[in-house]
Amino acid sequence: MKLFHFTEMPYPYVPPEAEEAHRGLKYFIPNRFYDPVRGYELYQRYLDEYELADELGFDLMVNEHHQSASTLHVSATLSAATVLSRTRNGRVLVLGTPLPHRESPVRVAEEIAFLDAMSAGRINCGFVRGVQGETFPSNQNPVHNMEMFTEAHDLIVEAWTNHDLFSWEGRHYHYRYVAVWPRPYQQPHPPIWVSGTTRQLVEWTAAHGYTLCNLLGTYPDTAKSFRLYRQTAIAAGQPEPGPDKFAYLALCHVASSEEEARRVGEQLTWYLKQGRLRLGAANPPGYSSTAAAVAALRGKLGEVRRYSFERLVEEGILLVGTPDTVTAQLRRLYDETGVGNVILMNQAGEMTSNQVRDSLSLLAREVLPAVAPLGRQWQDEDTRWRVDRDTQPVETVLASALS
Amino acid sequence: MTDPDRARLLFLHDADVLPGPVGALAGLADSVDLEVPRHPGFGEHDELAQDWDSIADVAQYYLHELELRGGPAPHLAGAGLGGWIALEMAVRDQARFASLTLVAPYGVKLFGRMDREFADILLLDPAEVVALGWANPAACHGLRMPGLPKGLDDGEYERAFEDRATIARLAWKPFLHDPRLRRWLHVLDLPTLVIAGSHDRLVKPEHSRELAGLLRGARYVEFPGSGHYPYLETPDEFAEAVLSFVSGRQTIGATQ
Repeated sequence: MKLFHFTEMPYPYVPPEAEEAHRGLKYFIPNRFYDPVRGYELYQRYLDEYELADELGFDLMVNEHHQSASTLHVSATLSAATVLSRTRNGRVLVLGTPLPHRESPVRVAEEIAFLDAMSAGRINCGFVRGVQGETFPSNQNPVHNMEMFTEAHDLIVEAWTNHDLFSWEGRHYHYRYVAVWPRPYQQPHPPIWVSGTTRQLVEWTAAHGYTLCNLLGTYPDTAKSFRLYRQTAIAAGQPEPGPDKFAYLALCHVASSEEEARRVGEQLTWYLKQGRLRLGAANPPGYSSTAAAVAALRGKLGEVRRYSFERLVEEGILLVGTPDTVTAQLRRLYDETGVGNVILMNQAGEMTSNQVRDSLSLLAREVLPAVAPLGRQWQDEDTRWRVDRDTQPVETVLASALS
Repeated sequence: MTDPDRARLLFLHDADVLPGPVGALAGLADSVDLEVPRHPGFGEHDELAQDWDSIADVAQYYLHELELRGGPAPHLAGAGLGGWIALEMAVRDQARFASLTLVAPYGVKLFGRMDREFADILLLDPAEVVALGWANPAACHGLRMPGLPKGLDDGEYERAFEDRATIARLAWKPFLHDPRLRRWLHVLDLPTLVIAGSHDRLVKPEHSRELAGLLRGARYVEFPGSGHYPYLETPDEFAEAVLSFVSGRQTIGATQ
């Protein structure tokens, strides 16, 4: 099992009354609440933490959101470039570039190729649809989100793998001459990762053999999503997917005692605060099926955000405790889902840099070595998630915490 | 039986409005041959409309339908989104119509690039749309949105979400207008009535008044007791104004 360090780089200094007045920290909050000097200090601090995580043996993940105080990453490729030039060892997972929200897939192909070329192939390339609210900063049509995602993907892969000059007159993208320089260092292209839970997206990811990432799902929901992937991949004639094809993102904090871990780790739930976005923003028209839209209207989505601390720990969404406790949680995650990559969100809200550094150091000393062997011999193991032991019908997963 | 002497009125509905002859339209149907079609993609999934990406597509569709059917030239009317469709139809083939009635139409951006001329009906909560769209929000009726009215079954709300998706497909960017439409307004030379409600904050009356000024020979009339839906909120005045206009009496409104 590989462990990735991740922080969304939040800006935690927005006054609560401003957050209340603007229905949360995302998409619609004016930037008068941002202080440039404090922002600079935050960037240096978060980048220092990436540097430490790399030295301690973690892989690294960056992402992007827009018009948001909960994330100061504004471009996953810019963040990746910055993290790459500060680190030497870890892989940098770009998870991800929200394809429908970027005007130019060719530019995405160039940027990823650049990152891969200049780092001798340290990039894992994640593509995402972009969470619902991202529709408003980019102003891209939510009705076409999924279509734009797949067309942009097709064009990018073509740009990496077709070594002749070509033209593209698609439904959403139009180029008369495409020939991307540089080519990626990893040939034919960097590993592609996708995050999501909708049936259509999981099946698409499985059919392409890409790595599927589940964000903040419960153990059973994550297992269901991965089972759908495995069965789709097998039906598409692919070999049985191993743990490397699966990733999971959890919130994490370890300390030498349970009490201390909880005292600090409770701050991680800052990230799960119930949003107050209008339904029209949390669920833009046409972004998802009308059935999913009604589920959102009825308050059936984002259930995870309402869980208690204890429930979040029980469900594996919060990996919080002593190194032994968290190691046991990761073992359980592997046993129940067969995941091979775990992204640890080691910071949220006002957690201090020392708290993050202490946790990273302890994780590196006691948890990393304990979980590293998980999944290495997966084909010799008799686990419940192996395809030939899986006889239950596949169910669709509804809840995403992240809208 | 169609009476050949009766005026024919094609009324194109707005976003969020219930199907059929709602409000004043029911009364109008006594005096004119009224048709209130449901736009393709509204109320149910429509395979044809899946490929459309502009209000001009809807206009082209209706023009083709009228051409297939033939018959005397109808009076063309539309409210809000339907007013926008009507304008797109008129600039393409005005000879097909006897007159044009527009009720607070979307579709033409008139003011500066930082002026929000049209309320964000795809983002706002239903209660906000009602508050902006009615002189007396407590009197709201005849509308259907996701979650409004309360207590409907999932199927009804799914249809309302489908409507929203169709509007987004047609009018997301540029939002609720098409710059190409404004370029061709000067070709219009039809008897035209532009109606606005004084309390409309979805499309402010100043916008409708300014638009009427760009349409040759257009009359502008404003109802002080109405918001965005005068045919629902002040139906008697609305019916009288439209009947006067289509019968050629034109006793109301000031020529711009």
